[in-house]
Amino acid sequence: MRQKRKEKFFRFYLPLALFLIFLLFPFYWMFATTFKSDMELYNLKLNPFLIHHWSLLNLKHLFFQTPFLRWLANTFFVAITSTIISLSASLLAAYGIQRIRFKGSSLMGIGIFFCYLVPPTILFIPLATMVFKLRIWDSLWALSLIYPTFLIPFCTWLLMGYFNSIPKELEECAMMDGASRLWIFWRVIVPLSLPGILSAGIFAFTLSWNEYLYALTFISTSLKKTVSVGLVTELVRGDVYHWGPLMAGALFGSVPVALVYSFFVEYYVAGMTGALKE
Amino acid sequence: MGEKKKKELTRRDFIKKSAAGVAGVGLATLSMDSLFQWNPALAAQVSAPPLKIEKNAVLKILRWSGFVKSDEQVWNANTKKWEKETGAKVVTEYLSWEDVRSKAAMEASVGAGHDIVLGWYDDPHLYPDKLLDVSDVATYLGKKYGGWYPVCEMYGKLYGTDKWIALPIGSAGICINYRKSWVKEAGFEKVPGDIPGFIKCCQALKKKGHPTGFALGHAVGDGNTWTHWWLWSHGGKAVEKDGKTIAINSKETIHALDAVKELYETMIPGVASWLDPHNNKAFLSGQISVTSNGNSIFYASMKKFPDINKDLMTMNFPVGPVGHPAELSMISQAFVFKHTPVPNAAKHFLRFMFEKAQYGKWESETWGYITQTLKDYYNLPAWKKDPRITPYRECVKRMLWNGYAGPMGPASAAAMSEYVVVDMFADVCVGGKSPKAAALAAERKLKKFYR
Repeated sequence: MRQKRKEKFFRFYLPLALFLIFLLFPFYWMFATTFKSDMELYNLKLNPFLIHHWSLLNLKHLFFQTPFLRWLANTFFVAITSTIISLSASLLAAYGIQRIRFKGSSLMGIGIFFCYLVPPTILFIPLATMVFKLRIWDSLWALSLIYPTFLIPFCTWLLMGYFNSIPKELEECAMMDGASRLWIFWRVIVPLSLPGILSAGIFAFTLSWNEYLYALTFISTSLKKTVSVGLVTELVRGDVYHWGPLMAGALFGSVPVALVYSFFVEYYVAGMTGALKE
Repeated sequence: MGEKKKKELTRRDFIKKSAAGVAGVGLATLSMDSLFQWNPALAAQVSAPPLKIEKNAVLKILRWSGFVKSDEQVWNANTKKWEKETGAKVVTEYLSWEDVRSKAAMEASVGAGHDIVLGWYDDPHLYPDKLLDVSDVATYLGKKYGGWYPVCEMYGKLYGTDKWIALPIGSAGICINYRKSWVKEAGFEKVPGDIPGFIKCCQALKKKGHPTGFALGHAVGDGNTWTHWWLWSHGGKAVEKDGKTIAINSKETIHALDAVKELYETMIPGVASWLDPHNNKAFLSGQISVTSNGNSIFYASMKKFPDINKDLMTMNFPVGPVGHPAELSMISQAFVFKHTPVPNAAKHFLRFMFEKAQYGKWESETWGYITQTLKDYYNLPAWKKDPRITPYRECVKRMLWNGYAGPMGPASAAAMSEYVVVDMFADVCVGGKSPKAAALAAERKLKKFYR
């Protein structure tokens, strides 16, 4: 019994603990830096892993000297709208490609995947032309409409894989009962694909939340910036990095994503492992 | 009789010759003044280019964010002053140093976006056809404020022409920063002003347990500036004047690379990964005794690190075997895109910001952050506020341009953004390459850009 416990400790708990330390250390570092004063940060005689004198100055700087809360609200708006737009389009696209099987559908599936592989650094100039022509430059809608260009291919590809695991017989039964394609899609496919839809949604939300290049390019006004761009532009000044407020911003900026993951983790795992067990 | 008459000086001749003499002396004085000294009386006579501001003009400006808080405060106050005087509106976007270049390039390519950009180095030479001719404003400012420094003409004018495509607005000057007490402890009264003496001082500091630190990572400001200084001070250069002949693989470069190994031995471990903030942090935390930097160490230490501030001293880069200063500092250029719907307002705004009432205040309150590009501003009282900021006013006077000795353009910009010179030094110091191999590698890279 003792031997079994020992074995479990070395095989399970110890690797798990090491893994947790590895994953959580950046968060701890952000947390510790947030509550340290500049003097403490620059004092190398002190143990850098501990907080010796707690200070709220960095939080004061972040919340009262920068429009951080506004950036958070902007990021929420952009992440939610672009996720909704992307999921709506991807669901229809994935279903069409996977189930209707029209001529060239498999080629289209591969084509969509290739779209995802095109790096944003190549796309941002043509996209900028469109943004200027649509007169949405320096508007949050520019991001809400541009992000689906990389979210839709990814979500479509993910959902295609998921739809593939749903037995066709379910649809055929519904058809025999007189259901239309749209009815089947809405009443059979969507409920069964909920874990897949959620995991695609989580991915889309996270990618939109963290996106930097387009947010930097298409937004100018400080009050319209997202968290990722706002923190860098306001708290990195030349060769001076305001580490305290930066870490505080990174910490508070990652909380919503962590919450989203923690709420939907079960669906997320199910979405990644397949739909229905036959 | 006739001959006698010729020799005699008549009253009329006297008046004529005296008048000519007075006029000659006056002209000579005038030309001497205009050549060597700024003349306020003449400056007052220079009339500004006529620029009728467009109705309901709204100017969109993109500029870098500064580490000196007062920089933005004074800039914004000056902007408000202009808005009040003209009735036009200004929207200013501040971005981090590195991001301005990519955003401006995108806007140049798309033909929309901001009207004015405050970019870095040779940005305007990447898309000169997209930029408005600002020669009228540049000529006016040059005449009024004692002329532009030669390197500014190089940066502002389209290569080989007299057309100004940008106005060099100021330089984030780079100087040597060191700890006075430690230098004395090492047996030196101050850091020597020549490179052999500088190396000896750094070696003595290292022996006393006070290493030096110079960025060898891809640091836009700190990495590029000191490595170019070291290369040029030893007579090396990337390219010849024709902009075609690659000159990096020379005996001067090899000499520079041999010498840098001695300096590297005095450095703290880890400089190969240093970016712009690292030397600030190392200096302020007392890890290093000497580094090269803008005034950010001085500025940060004023408020937060008083002990370091008391012991801090600055000086210009030491002179190398070439026998004259050959430095690189970060220079910022203001340029106007042709796509602007308000070209007159844009030029008017820039002219206004360069005028003494505004520019003087900007320099004065930023503690040496912005080095002047117009010669007259060398004598602003701001430079005497503290002896540690005085050396910064020399930076533009002592600097060469990136891509020296060739023209500025896409090739020089690419060489800079790919850190060819920095990597060459890093290859020798930390990469284990021989100076010859590192110079050859740099030559290969440069050939790719200067095709």
